[in-house]
Amino acid sequence: MDYQELFPVPVEWLQDVDRSMARTVADWADAEVMAGRLEHKEDYHALLLPAMRKLLVDIGLQSMLWPEEMGGGGLVTPDAAMTLAAVIEQVGRADTGIAFVLANTFALCSTFAVEPHRNTALLEHMAPVMCGKDPVIGSLVLPYYSKDPDAAAFFGLPYQVAARSDGDGWLLNARDARPQCSGAGAYAFGVACAGEGDEPMLVLVAPHLKGFATGEPFKKTGLAASINADITMDGVRVAGAQVLLTGTTRMRGMLAWYYTLCAAACSGALLATYEIIKEWGDTRVIKGKGQVFKENPLVASLLGEIGSKMALGRLLTFNAARLLSAPDVYGPAGSPTVATAATAAFKLAARGAMEAMDNTMELMASAGYATEWNLERYWRDVKTLESCVLPETVAQTDLARHYFDLKEI
Amino acid sequence: MRTIDDFTRPLEYLAPVDKHLGDIVRAWAEREVMPYRRQYDEDWEEHRLIEPAFRSLMGELGFQRMLFPEDLGGWGFGHSGYTATIACRAFEEIARADSGMAVAFGVLFWPLVMICNEPHVNRRLCEELAPMFCDTTAPCFAANAMTEPQGGADIENMEIVGGSTIETTAVLDGDEWVINGHKLWPTNSGGVADLFGVVCTTRAGSRDLDDFAFIFVPTKTPGCTQSGPYQKAGMAADKNGDIWFEDCRVPSWYRAHGPGLDAMYFKEVISFGNMGSTAFVVGAMMNVYEILKDFCSEQNYRGKPLKENDDIAGVLADFARDIDICRILAYQCARMIDRPDLYGERWSDEIVAKGRGYKYFACDRAVENLKKAMNIMGAHGSDRLWDVEKHWRDVKIVQLWMGGKQLCQMEVARWFYECETL
Repeated sequence: MDYQELFPVPVEWLQDVDRSMARTVADWADAEVMAGRLEHKEDYHALLLPAMRKLLVDIGLQSMLWPEEMGGGGLVTPDAAMTLAAVIEQVGRADTGIAFVLANTFALCSTFAVEPHRNTALLEHMAPVMCGKDPVIGSLVLPYYSKDPDAAAFFGLPYQVAARSDGDGWLLNARDARPQCSGAGAYAFGVACAGEGDEPMLVLVAPHLKGFATGEPFKKTGLAASINADITMDGVRVAGAQVLLTGTTRMRGMLAWYYTLCAAACSGALLATYEIIKEWGDTRVIKGKGQVFKENPLVASLLGEIGSKMALGRLLTFNAARLLSAPDVYGPAGSPTVATAATAAFKLAARGAMEAMDNTMELMASAGYATEWNLERYWRDVKTLESCVLPETVAQTDLARHYFDLKEI
Repeated sequence: MRTIDDFTRPLEYLAPVDKHLGDIVRAWAEREVMPYRRQYDEDWEEHRLIEPAFRSLMGELGFQRMLFPEDLGGWGFGHSGYTATIACRAFEEIARADSGMAVAFGVLFWPLVMICNEPHVNRRLCEELAPMFCDTTAPCFAANAMTEPQGGADIENMEIVGGSTIETTAVLDGDEWVINGHKLWPTNSGGVADLFGVVCTTRAGSRDLDDFAFIFVPTKTPGCTQSGPYQKAGMAADKNGDIWFEDCRVPSWYRAHGPGLDAMYFKEVISFGNMGSTAFVVGAMMNVYEILKDFCSEQNYRGKPLKENDDIAGVLADFARDIDICRILAYQCARMIDRPDLYGERWSDEIVAKGRGYKYFACDRAVENLKKAMNIMGAHGSDRLWDVEKHWRDVKIVQLWMGGKQLCQMEVARWFYECETL
């Protein structure tokens, strides 16, 4: 399907590699996921894991940000944001959960693999794994609510992990911290915490370290590709070299990548939704067989709403990616302007996706919530993503802080 | 300390047995459903966990007997003048624990309303069917077999299509109806029901409401077969599947009332469905209120409990306001069904249209509020351990059934604006 014709994005921002990768992933989506989901539903081992292996290893997505000389794809400049948006959108069309896992992985990797913050030593250290034969997932452990009102916080939102300086490294402690994804299977975690002088810090933590414990996977609404579990850190020691970034600007930059890629996942879910409701609207009749469904004016008014949200979500996503891809034009990803725009793009894309999917379900009635029609899985996935990435009121405050120059909250 | 009982109900509408029955259902729900409901999603096909809870409520506590006359072993609520108000209380209490169980329970009474409710009791059919429900401690389910593959809920769109889209036929052969057709999606199908109320036509393609027929078919009748349940986004306790009728023969007096009357009283079924749907989402919202209150009291943001943050408090306030309003609406809807002397016949276009309006208003508010509740709870909003996401999935399904939102809008517009072509 020609989505550019339906829901255009500024083509001058996309390079050949972006289009080529998106096409490859679209083919993967059709063959490896969408063809098998009626049979396997959301079965992780029967459908999602084999599909992820194909995507990450065989197609080579997980090594995209590694230099070619290390066996990677060589997308080492901020342009990678556009490629990733185009790719993750197509992944999200197949399975929003896999797209969400990729958003975590790439946001984490963006902190040390993309210019101007490339960490060659870390890239070399991780290259055998990232450019190897097994799928690798990264996960973020971001600030979240706390039962402790005095916990250190990132703009009011408490860190889940406490860090204490220990010589040339750090000791990390956390009780039942909730990763964004894949707590039970991530290769590495990007853990947000307060460093020296309460400066924000992101630390790379491997789950095999002493004192690191993973809880039982918990059940959740959607995003079946992410087998999540809470994690506990009891004096986990990490070397100073594992600190990926420090400072508010760098932390915001990482979050800007994360939110943009999550917006792309939502955009992909909407493309799948479009395919489903298009077929439904073309083939159903109502009011005593007299009227093709989509030709009913009330139905059409909702279809118009749905279509406009799809178009806007896509535009927002690719615009946010463009901001990240051109720091020479727009400033660094962590600048208040770019980071806030990415937050706004994500919140609006996710909200628009939910509204469009809610409307689509209303039009499809019982078929909307039957697994057979596939819509409900995207609906559950996007709702899960929307709620767990960033609590609504926290996002609203973050946006207000920038747009209206808040001083106290 | 504020509880769900602080949400408003018009006290003067309540049945004398309201507190007694409400307490029983609430205790049952907290004992038999709430500790296990997180496992219901995986129990959608087998009902190994769900069935014992139904057995307890319907068979052992005896709630499946509610509508039948006392002399037939029932509780006589069909002539109590409080049928809907009592049902409303039971529905919200059950839905507080699990909306899927509430609808399966509620739909048990759907076809029975046609014959057990004053002023149109069909005594002969009551006598025939009462033993199925009243002489057992095993759960006994009924279902309305309405929706068909070709037109979905178009069958409910009586004003426009006048029954003309119904393809399930009933042909009188001597003193028996011979029924043929295919239904899908009824609540309590998928192998659950013991009795179907079948919406069919005695003359295919006819718009004459005399040809609209509502005929009872015990599910063990030869020629009646069912598929297994569909898998869906929520409501595991509510099984839905396909039903096929192939030369299915039942006595001629199994038709609820006869030409014209079946179509007329069938609208009463819609009124009960509207009231029930409103009560279901109220029950779900009240439980989310309880959960949200705990969560927002324990978790901190900006150094204080979530509920003490003005922005979050604003969202919480909207939610509480909507529960209060929707609960009042649910009982108002029930009252209008119970008191035809004040509000007109419960099968009238007015009561159906107003009920549709209440239903879709309450469902819209529930869906929006539960989305916001999940957003407030962040990573725990979609965590099944907190049950909010389950209620969110369930209330969305309530919003979509019975023809979905658009059919509701058309019926409301048709009545209030006297539209003639919708």
